[in-house]
Amino acid sequence: MTWKKVCAVGDVGVNSVKLFDVDGINVLIANYGTGFRALPPICPHMEEPLAESGIVANCVLTCSKHLWAWDLRTLGMIGEAEKPLKYYETREEDGGLFVNMVEELVYDFESEDDLDDDFFSKS
Amino acid sequence: MTVTVQTPEGVFEFPCANGETLLHAGLKAGVSLPHECATGTCGTCRARLRTGHVDIGWEDSPALAKLKRDKGDILLCQARAKSDCLVRVPAKVTRTVGEDAPANFKGTLNKSRLLTHDVIEFTISLSKPMKFEAGQFVLVTVPSVIGARAYSMVNYAADADEIVFVVKRKPGGGFSDWLFSGSIDDTKVEIFGPVGRATFAVSEDKDLVIVAGGSGIAGMMAILERAIQSNYFANHRGYVFFGVPTLKDGFYLDKLANYVTKAQGGLDVTLALSNETPQGARHPAYDEIQLASGFVHAAMASSMADRYQNVLAYLAGPPRMVDAVLRVLITEGQLPPQAIRYDKFA
Repeated sequence: MTWKKVCAVGDVGVNSVKLFDVDGINVLIANYGTGFRALPPICPHMEEPLAESGIVANCVLTCSKHLWAWDLRTLGMIGEAEKPLKYYETREEDGGLFVNMVEELVYDFESEDDLDDDFFSKS
Repeated sequence: MTVTVQTPEGVFEFPCANGETLLHAGLKAGVSLPHECATGTCGTCRARLRTGHVDIGWEDSPALAKLKRDKGDILLCQARAKSDCLVRVPAKVTRTVGEDAPANFKGTLNKSRLLTHDVIEFTISLSKPMKFEAGQFVLVTVPSVIGARAYSMVNYAADADEIVFVVKRKPGGGFSDWLFSGSIDDTKVEIFGPVGRATFAVSEDKDLVIVAGGSGIAGMMAILERAIQSNYFANHRGYVFFGVPTLKDGFYLDKLANYVTKAQGGLDVTLALSNETPQGARHPAYDEIQLASGFVHAAMASSMADRYQNVLAYLAGPPRMVDAVLRVLITEGQLPPQAIRYDKFA
């Protein structure tokens, strides 16, 4: 466990997103009212920066580019979303928001290349 | 040539003619290759070429710049096959058989007329009828201008011999300059379509909220025409918000006023003026049309507060307008993604 402080709990308003630099790694904090989520800064669809295009409402994060959406309570995919969100564990302590960050979470846009031919050949 | 597309859920094969883009070839064959703008700007149609040769097309496309070309990334809407090809598409793709797939059409441009100082309407008479859904668009290619342009059909008919378009002048735009040059009638053009999923069918059974900025009203006119033809507003409500800078920038107001009358109380139309203060609550020449001041997303927000139950929303217009409207629909309106329809070709 490598807990690092991101910000003060009051730094991110309810139903909003904000980008922070944690030891050189960009983390997006989403406040959905009854909790927080710490996410990579881009959408797993086409790398849209969620600090600009992310909308939080009714405990749901929607990327306004193509309306991929996730329930922030369960991380379940909603609507058109085809890929899950990656996330860092969070906890609050003494008014601070902390993330468990061992290494940067990155979406595998690249590893599509490494996928087995078999993975692509089921018809 | 044969193109083979590998996706996480299956493999699809289709023929591709010399000089044809992979996207067109696939869509014609009923294969739902991912795409949005179909004109090289959005990047949705990106794929990775595994084997074979293509001409990648528009070198300076903004979407191509973001891809890993050294790894074989291409845009399906720009790339033309030069040999049999194998591509990987990292998205859900399906194949439909027997439905009305898009196709190539030839047409002649005519009946061009200015609707305002910077909005032009024109018609394309087709060599053969095209079936399309209200809200769809086509890709238009004109011999003297490089690259296709996407335009939504303004008219709606079950089997259309002619399709109508409306375009707002874009300063410095090559196509715009040609369109507004005053001598475009009788030009032979090529059409690919219909494309687009922001469509309306009579089976929707929801109240409609339609928000358009400038020439974004184009596809909305087809949607309203379809709705009115089937008396949709006899048992559903419709709310149209049309944003333009000033009163004299309004167009199709005669048609919109006519729709309000035909809908007998079921349809409200509001013209939102962003650069002028309206002189009254209603348009001086069209009593059926209400006026509002400010940006169209604000006019919608104020009118629709707490009235979003059972709503299906259609949006079209400049990207910033669409973004502002989306925020209201999602936060205040609490609309899920499935209740929002728009095609992203700016």
